[in-house]
Amino acid sequence: MLKRMLATVAVLAIGSGAALAHVSLQSKEAPVGSTYRAILQVPHGCEGRPTNVLRVQIPEGVIAVKPQPKAGWTLEKIKGAYAKSYDYHGTPTSEGVKEIVWSGGSLGDDEYDEFVLRVYLTKDLKAGETLYFPVVQECPDGMAERWIEIPAEGQSADDLELPAPGVKLVEAAGGH
Amino acid sequence: MRDHPGRACIQVFLAGILWCCLAAAAMAHASLTGSVPADGAVVDTPPQSLSLSFSEPVSPLVLRLVLPDGQARTLGTFVLRDRVLEIVPPDGLGAGTHVLVWRVVSEDGHPVAGSTVFSIGAPSSAPPVAETAADWPVRIALWLARVALYVGLFFGIGGLFSVRWLIPGGADGLRVIRGVTLLGLAAAVLSLGFQGLDALGVPLSGLMDRTVWQAGLATRFGLTVIVLLAAFCLAVVASFRAAFAGRAASLASLLAGGGALALSGHASSAAPQWLTQPAVFVHAITIAVWIGALLPLACAVRRGGDAGRQALDRFSRLIPACVAALALAGLLLAVVQIQAFGALFSTAYGAVLLVKMALLAVLFSLVALNRWVFTRPAARGDRGATRRLVRSIIVETMIVLAVLAVAAAWRFTPPPRALALAAAQPASIHIHSDKAMAEIALTPGRAGPVRLSAVILSPDFTPLSPKEVTFVLSNPEAGIEPMRRRAALQGDGTWQATDVILPLAGRWRVRIDILVSDFELVRLQETVEIAP
Repeated sequence: MLKRMLATVAVLAIGSGAALAHVSLQSKEAPVGSTYRAILQVPHGCEGRPTNVLRVQIPEGVIAVKPQPKAGWTLEKIKGAYAKSYDYHGTPTSEGVKEIVWSGGSLGDDEYDEFVLRVYLTKDLKAGETLYFPVVQECPDGMAERWIEIPAEGQSADDLELPAPGVKLVEAAGGH
Repeated sequence: MRDHPGRACIQVFLAGILWCCLAAAAMAHASLTGSVPADGAVVDTPPQSLSLSFSEPVSPLVLRLVLPDGQARTLGTFVLRDRVLEIVPPDGLGAGTHVLVWRVVSEDGHPVAGSTVFSIGAPSSAPPVAETAADWPVRIALWLARVALYVGLFFGIGGLFSVRWLIPGGADGLRVIRGVTLLGLAAAVLSLGFQGLDALGVPLSGLMDRTVWQAGLATRFGLTVIVLLAAFCLAVVASFRAAFAGRAASLASLLAGGGALALSGHASSAAPQWLTQPAVFVHAITIAVWIGALLPLACAVRRGGDAGRQALDRFSRLIPACVAALALAGLLLAVVQIQAFGALFSTAYGAVLLVKMALLAVLFSLVALNRWVFTRPAARGDRGATRRLVRSIIVETMIVLAVLAVAAAWRFTPPPRALALAAAQPASIHIHSDKAMAEIALTPGRAGPVRLSAVILSPDFTPLSPKEVTFVLSNPEAGIEPMRRRAALQGDGTWQATDVILPLAGRWRVRIDILVSDFELVRLQETVEIAP
């Protein structure tokens, strides 16, 4: 039993500890062909300054994006054409939200908050790969924290200074 | 085997609490929010305290201050006040650029590292202007004194040893030998003053100043001079006493002379010293025995008779062994000093060595000629051969003088003037990747304040207009963690950062972070050699 307990702890520790020092996604795994609730965790501002703007880039293959409004923040959805047409429950979809901006708020450097959006992960995305949501935090005086680096082949997110938050894609749940 | 349901609940509950703790801890990610003195600041007086402010409370793993001379001091006295780390600087900080290197760990256990730079008085700029304009009268005086010192040591002390131990028949040249010994004595005394002038950067007219002589004595060369003075005095004594006392004095003087050279200089201070110091000693003594024997030999051979033949016989039997030891020690020192074969052609030190080798090649062919062509007929009493042998020995002596003159030039290698000239050139690097390319120049390409500028193009040579450009400099070999400097776009389209101080020479890692768009960052990295 001790062994199992340690294993549980180890899995949880690895799952939660590894990347949370930066802006990160709370759920680490999601099946393709499903709706995913992306919770972005913002642990700090820019070198002591508060975060006023949070921008999230929607990766290709992610459609039907709906951000959750936040009190005290203005929400903006920047739309555009997708690189190709995606199937959303039988309907072809070729344009939609490409970037989300929460602005006008003030999240102190010594405070923590979460920003939520609901998206649909199309079946065109490949299970086994990691999907990255690049995030930019903007602060006063032109300061910014950019979590926009995506690991190259053979690299891991730990090798990067400014890793973009990512979610590991898994096989679609059966039945659909 | 089935677990008790209650136990499973507790297990899940505990794991949950632990997960919360870990998750909470992992949120903490420290970044530097400020420092005193500020990064890049120039302060008038040494700061009474240093402080680093972070976005989270931190625990220092490494705190080091890299001094202007490149030495690093570990900073062991500090306190953490909330999120501010206050550090007590070491006493007696001098003028110049200091680098505060920090590596801290915050609650998430991820070490974060960086460097902040501040200067006391003014930023270090090496080399100083005074050194750039080499004081030629002082250098020539130093060089002449060094040549005279070698002549005194090898022809004087070595000659006396020869007369007293090997070639009694060569006493004809004793007055000359005594003369060069006295010359060496004078040169040793004077070179102490010249060394002081060089150390303080004072012109030749300052030779009467007491502090100059004290400075000369305080250098490592000071001890060499003291021992050399003793050696020359012993040699003068030996030149007046033919009996046992003379022989003892000449031997002691030879050993002291060799020992003196082993006490200072480039070669003796090269690692490993247990090897190089004895090698210098052997090299010096064997030179003295061989070179010193030339003049007495010439005198003895010219006089002829039994004494001449005996002298020639002894010289030809003893000297090959002596020269072998000399060459072996010299070769060993050359290998230690040069290390890489390429340095033979790329450094001033190597050039001096090559010239010396060329002269030695001529010298050794002459030696071979003497040994295998002239010696036997001269030993048989052939007058023509004897005359040619004497003439050849005189030429040999001339070449030896040239070799000594060349070897004395090692005092000045690497010549700072040439280095300074090279260092004024910008160090430039070209980095190419499939995302972007950058042409980066560091001007001047030496330690001190530098201007970093970059021309950034897309891979197909069309201009790229990045949103932001940041230079990140680090020197892993010197333990300097990354320093970041934001670049500003200039009117001519280049990106520049002027508030950069490279505190040390050596291999620096230059990285340029190019923010192509809000969500796209390209990092290019290369190392560059920075001159002292």
